[in-house]
Amino acid sequence: MHYSVYGRRHRPFDVCAVYGEKGSEALVGTMAYSGKTKTASRTVRRSRFKKYLPFYLFISPWLIVFLALGLIPLLWGLYLSFTNYDGFNFNSVQWIGMSNYVQVFRGGAMAALGRTILITVINVPLGTAIGFMLAVLLNTKVKGVAIYRTIFYLPAVFPVVATGLMWSAIYADQGGMLNEFLSIFGLRPINWLGYTWAPTALILMLLWGSGGALLIYLAGLKGVPQSLYESAAIDGATPAQRFFHVTVPLMTPVIFFNLVLGIIGSLQILLQPIIISGGSLTTAPIMPIYLYMVDAWLQIFSLGRFSYGLAMLWVLFVIVLLLTLVVFATSKYWVYYEAPGE
Amino acid sequence: MVEEHGRGRNHKQVPLYALIFFLCAIFIFPAVWTFTNSLQSIAGPVGLFPSSIHWNNYVRAVTMIPFGRYLVNSFVIVGLAAGIGTISSAFVGYGFARLKAPGKGALFIVVLATMMLPGIVTQIPTYILFSHIGLTNTYLPWLFWGIGGNAFFIFLYRQFFMGIPVELEEAARLDGCSSLGIFGRIFIPLSFPIIATTGILSFQGSWSDALTPFMFLSTNQWPLATALIGSSDYSLPSHPWVPLIPVVDAATMLFVIPILLLFFFGQRFIIQGVVTTGLKG
Repeated sequence: MHYSVYGRRHRPFDVCAVYGEKGSEALVGTMAYSGKTKTASRTVRRSRFKKYLPFYLFISPWLIVFLALGLIPLLWGLYLSFTNYDGFNFNSVQWIGMSNYVQVFRGGAMAALGRTILITVINVPLGTAIGFMLAVLLNTKVKGVAIYRTIFYLPAVFPVVATGLMWSAIYADQGGMLNEFLSIFGLRPINWLGYTWAPTALILMLLWGSGGALLIYLAGLKGVPQSLYESAAIDGATPAQRFFHVTVPLMTPVIFFNLVLGIIGSLQILLQPIIISGGSLTTAPIMPIYLYMVDAWLQIFSLGRFSYGLAMLWVLFVIVLLLTLVVFATSKYWVYYEAPGE
Repeated sequence: MVEEHGRGRNHKQVPLYALIFFLCAIFIFPAVWTFTNSLQSIAGPVGLFPSSIHWNNYVRAVTMIPFGRYLVNSFVIVGLAAGIGTISSAFVGYGFARLKAPGKGALFIVVLATMMLPGIVTQIPTYILFSHIGLTNTYLPWLFWGIGGNAFFIFLYRQFFMGIPVELEEAARLDGCSSLGIFGRIFIPLSFPIIATTGILSFQGSWSDALTPFMFLSTNQWPLATALIGSSDYSLPSHPWVPLIPVVDAATMLFVIPILLLFFFGQRFIIQGVVTTGLKG
């Protein structure tokens, strides 16, 4: 049978109500070709409409908002990136072709992208390795796993704003925890947020959240069949060998997936450099942590270069899209769901 | 790496525990230090532990800036985004899980695709559009986004609803129940875990979002997340360039309390949500 949100009772002339779902399909077939009576075919069309209506009604909130505030702004933003829109010339924007994009590939944006890639190259593999090692540690039969898991995972739950404020206090010149700590060992204070150390400071802060993928790794590790370890042990494999020849190969799909997600996330780092610099949302951080998204954001909201900033965002969007396609193309290797083992 | 050596393993595990405790200490230290530092005297010497406890840093944190107003703003945004978004996503998720219509498969691929879309690529044009038609400086955008639901949550609900036995639904159909009735009377009452998961995750997301409010709202409409960034109001009144770090730390602690409470009480739902989808929250 078929149904609508109006309920059954309000459809007295419904063909389907008489013939049932299969019957109505057959009716549609015969009537469409024989074209007996117009009224009958209209009834069928209406009945099909009513049959499918509930689906469209249920998804309509998403569909309407997606079209109005997703697809249209997306395409309109793409259009604006080919214009000279600067925030004030809304009614007189001019098409300037590829010029914004040419500038993205020639100007300071590429330097910012280079710094972003440098930070990503260090941050993502380290973060992935730390997250995975934490999961491996917790997958041994230690007591109190729930507590350790909470401690390792918690930093990933902290809002970026809170993490940034906490760490900028930790890095502070005067009364910062880290320099205080160094002085205990007789070491000289470091200007953590200065030119030399700022990227290191940023990466340390990002690594604090390495436990974010812990839960996924733990679920994956629980899925590794115990029998594999047993047979490896019988064959005389050391724990290290078991780790590198059983655990790691079986986990590579999950690790790879998280690596790609990590890269996508790391390329879009925006708030952290701004917050640890201690300025407002329109203050530029110092050069070594002036990353690509920070640049795009400030071009728009500090300098009013909307169309240029949108071009920057679209370049990054295409990069992210390509990375995402890699994930989807390889998804058959990493999708093996394991029930959450508590 | 599973040790299976019977009784002898307790001795072998000592280094393992030592390593875990050491790592726990490192990971928890920034948070603990933020808390202890929030109790430091703003004038006194800095130490890893406060020499005397100064709760009045918390008083300063809420009085030196209009903390209460920002807090209310935060809750307005969370209410619209998380409250409405959770319900709306459930509706859409039910449609994709249980109802049939042409184009459903293609539309679901669109939902999945939007999950990977960096939000800012659509938000900035939306901001331009809204500021042109005068919808900025209102919370209406959050109402709209709430109604539209969230692709990730739609996906979560769909996965969950697909696991509910069809027999329950068929029995209700035979009794003349409409799709809306089935959704409200059968699916929603069975869905507490997934409602909790999406509710917690969207609370976290909207509570932490600082950039969107910065774009769409005026200063006195900002939520805490936006207002706390570079808040130069937490400084010595006589020397505005001297930040009062213990007060900033106190404000940070107050800001994360709701997230921490939510995390501790809802941890199992978060774990469930993260693990079943293989995505980070």
